[in-house]
Amino acid sequence: MALNPFFLQGSPGEQRLVQDLINEQLRMYGVDIYYMPREYLGTKTVIKENVLAKFEDNFIIEAYVQNYEGFQGSGDLMTKFGIRTTDELTLVISKERFEDFISPFSMDLLATRPKEGDLIYFPLSDSLFEIKFVEHENPFYQLGKLYMYQLTCELFEYEDEVIDTSIEEIDDNVQNIGYIATLTLAGIGQTAEASTTLVDGSVNQIILVNDGYGYTSPPAVSISTSPNGSSTANATAVAITTSNTGSGSTTFSVKEVQITNPGFGYTQPPTIVFSGAGGSGASARAGIGTKGVVKILNIYNPGAQYATPPVVSISTSPTGLSTANATAVAVVSAGGTIAQIRLTNAGFGYTLAPTITIAAPSAGGSGVGTGNFVINEVITGESSLSTARVKSWDKDTRILKISNLAGTFALGEIIVGSATTFSTPGIGTTARYAVKSIQYDDQYDTYAENIIIENEADGGILDFTETNPFGTF
Amino acid sequence: MIGQYFYHEILRKTVIGFGTLFNQIEIRHSDDNDNVQSRMKVPLAYGPMQKFLAKIEQQPQLKGRAAITLPRMSFEMTGISYDPSRKASITQTFKTCNTGELGNIKKVYMPVPYNINFQLSIATKLNDDMLQILEQILPYFQPGLNITINLVSSIGEKRDVPIILENINMTDDYEGSFDNRRAMISTLTFTAKSYLFGKIADNSDGLIKRVQIDMFDDTNKVTARRIQRYAATPRAIKDYNDDATTAINQDLAAEQTLLSVNSASGLSVDDYIVINSENMQIRSISGNDVTVYRGVDGTTVSDHVAGSIVNIISGTRTPDLPLTGDDNLIVAGDDFGFNELTSFYQDYKDYSPSQGTDV
Repeated sequence: MALNPFFLQGSPGEQRLVQDLINEQLRMYGVDIYYMPREYLGTKTVIKENVLAKFEDNFIIEAYVQNYEGFQGSGDLMTKFGIRTTDELTLVISKERFEDFISPFSMDLLATRPKEGDLIYFPLSDSLFEIKFVEHENPFYQLGKLYMYQLTCELFEYEDEVIDTSIEEIDDNVQNIGYIATLTLAGIGQTAEASTTLVDGSVNQIILVNDGYGYTSPPAVSISTSPNGSSTANATAVAITTSNTGSGSTTFSVKEVQITNPGFGYTQPPTIVFSGAGGSGASARAGIGTKGVVKILNIYNPGAQYATPPVVSISTSPTGLSTANATAVAVVSAGGTIAQIRLTNAGFGYTLAPTITIAAPSAGGSGVGTGNFVINEVITGESSLSTARVKSWDKDTRILKISNLAGTFALGEIIVGSATTFSTPGIGTTARYAVKSIQYDDQYDTYAENIIIENEADGGILDFTETNPFGTF
Repeated sequence: MIGQYFYHEILRKTVIGFGTLFNQIEIRHSDDNDNVQSRMKVPLAYGPMQKFLAKIEQQPQLKGRAAITLPRMSFEMTGISYDPSRKASITQTFKTCNTGELGNIKKVYMPVPYNINFQLSIATKLNDDMLQILEQILPYFQPGLNITINLVSSIGEKRDVPIILENINMTDDYEGSFDNRRAMISTLTFTAKSYLFGKIADNSDGLIKRVQIDMFDDTNKVTARRIQRYAATPRAIKDYNDDATTAINQDLAAEQTLLSVNSASGLSVDDYIVINSENMQIRSISGNDVTVYRGVDGTTVSDHVAGSIVNIISGTRTPDLPLTGDDNLIVAGDDFGFNELTSFYQDYKDYSPSQGTDV
């Protein structure tokens, strides 16, 4: 049987009237919420999951809070994973208002309706909710049409989603949560300077004959005293051991011997003896330069903000022999200054005290150590090409908290900001800083105890003479 | 009897030891072009905690809270049970030197084997995260993984504690109404095979610092004559008091036995001396030239440079006198040699340990 043709069952005029009444009610009794559509950046096939998401857009829309007596859900729960808040919210929005004011701005296929997985910012509680279900048929086809959406939302579970709207109240919701790595950046660097002098009858080179084995730390290097008799005439040197690599390796071999004082007044090559540190077998022989050997007189400017040992170059010897040219390496202190310069070859045949040049710290370049970062700005390491997003920046301590890391930042490299975020495109100058230290362990997570557990274990509980199979912490 | 206070923190140490295995797990997220865009370390914590602490630490602000940040891992100790299969004889004791009180030793009976059950729970937002975490953990357990725990540090007792993966349970509530939240939790259960030690007793029996044996010509002690006595005391084979008596003033090659010192006045024939880590014994002294036996007491003969310090290893050297010098400073656990004394008798006396003399 067909419908009675003498009744309209809802004319377009009647339907419009109902929609208008609903819109008006929502605008009178509702609250303003922000609708934030999800951008899909990475989705896994087979195991269907959206692993990378970004929320950049926001649309303000009025909504009626269905659960006017309070949030639904079970409230705050103590779980084995810490506190979980299970607040739920049911919102009613107008179908027409959504289609008029949100759909036209969205490129998405499903732009015509609110989608599950999108976010709602609820200003009253300053929190983000994720839409988990959109009910579109309640009330059920009054006058033959649907007028509203009922959004069932739950509090957002944050992982590493980028929340980069233009609104600070929204963006700061995830500023201090989730995984945060810490970069400590160097200030404006300063190049170190040193002076040299010439000495005669001095140890100019120590050549390793046997690198030995079994040293638990660098062994002491003893050099025969100089016949000159003065204590400053005695040459001194330090041993550098190989780096401790390989699973289970706790001992080293000697890699090289660096001269800290070439001494003077030697008439024949002194004997070199390695002692202590548990190892054995290392032996070396020394060469002496009778005339014009380079000695580091002093470091009159220790520089500043060195993160890695800089290249040290010394002008060449007039003898023209490559082996007569002095070479040296620098030792950087914990404070970022040059603590010592050690000669790997003290050279010979110099007639004038040579010029020693210490490379500038990476923080010493033009414009490095200046500028500011803003939240959500993408930073890039200039040599490692790693990227990350800024969580927060403290200009005074130069501590930069970052998340969404791609790659591994290198010590000493320059990181540069993009100075543009979605919310603030092209602001000011781009910040450039050298990386002084990197901490990949999250120090700000209020739940994580990784660092505490590791420190307790390292304090004598665990015996890791066989290294931790899960990697060094 | 029961109720003497002691606490080795063995259970706590086992909890920490177990926890450190999992504090280095990382997960990564890639975009549609398979470029890693985000990497993060998975937070780990001991699950049980005081509720008010959890609240004020994890939610200091009441506004702007997220439901939870994921992924997270938590672990907890779920039980302790006696393991009869690893039981050892109960009367045996460990003895170790008491470094705090010279001459005393520490004594503890064999430990009791206990299995400690652990549960590691992993909650993730994505199934892909869960698979990344599990794949980083599971290959190390075959099904056991040994960690060495310093169970009782005061007696230097380190034990390998196998941690055995017993069971893996994965739950993923994705079915049903859209009103329910999807929760992905994996629970791994482990057993750590640990040991519990009792109280460590201080024992004033002391370290044996002198050995004396009397030998008789018959087993009948009434008629037997005492023939011979052998006594031995420890002799230091390294320098403890750092006396730096003198120094050599010329390089000393490995094959040389004549060394020239700054001043031989503090040295005497038969003294043991040490240069760097080589021990020598003095044969003769002529002026400041000293002839030595090289590399005594099993040390390695090596080159020494001019200016190397000469230390004397001093001591009484006769077992019938009290220990002095370096001999008296020997630290528990160090190697040492022996001073020996053999005496001959033709009497009927016997040694009385209580009176300390022959009777």
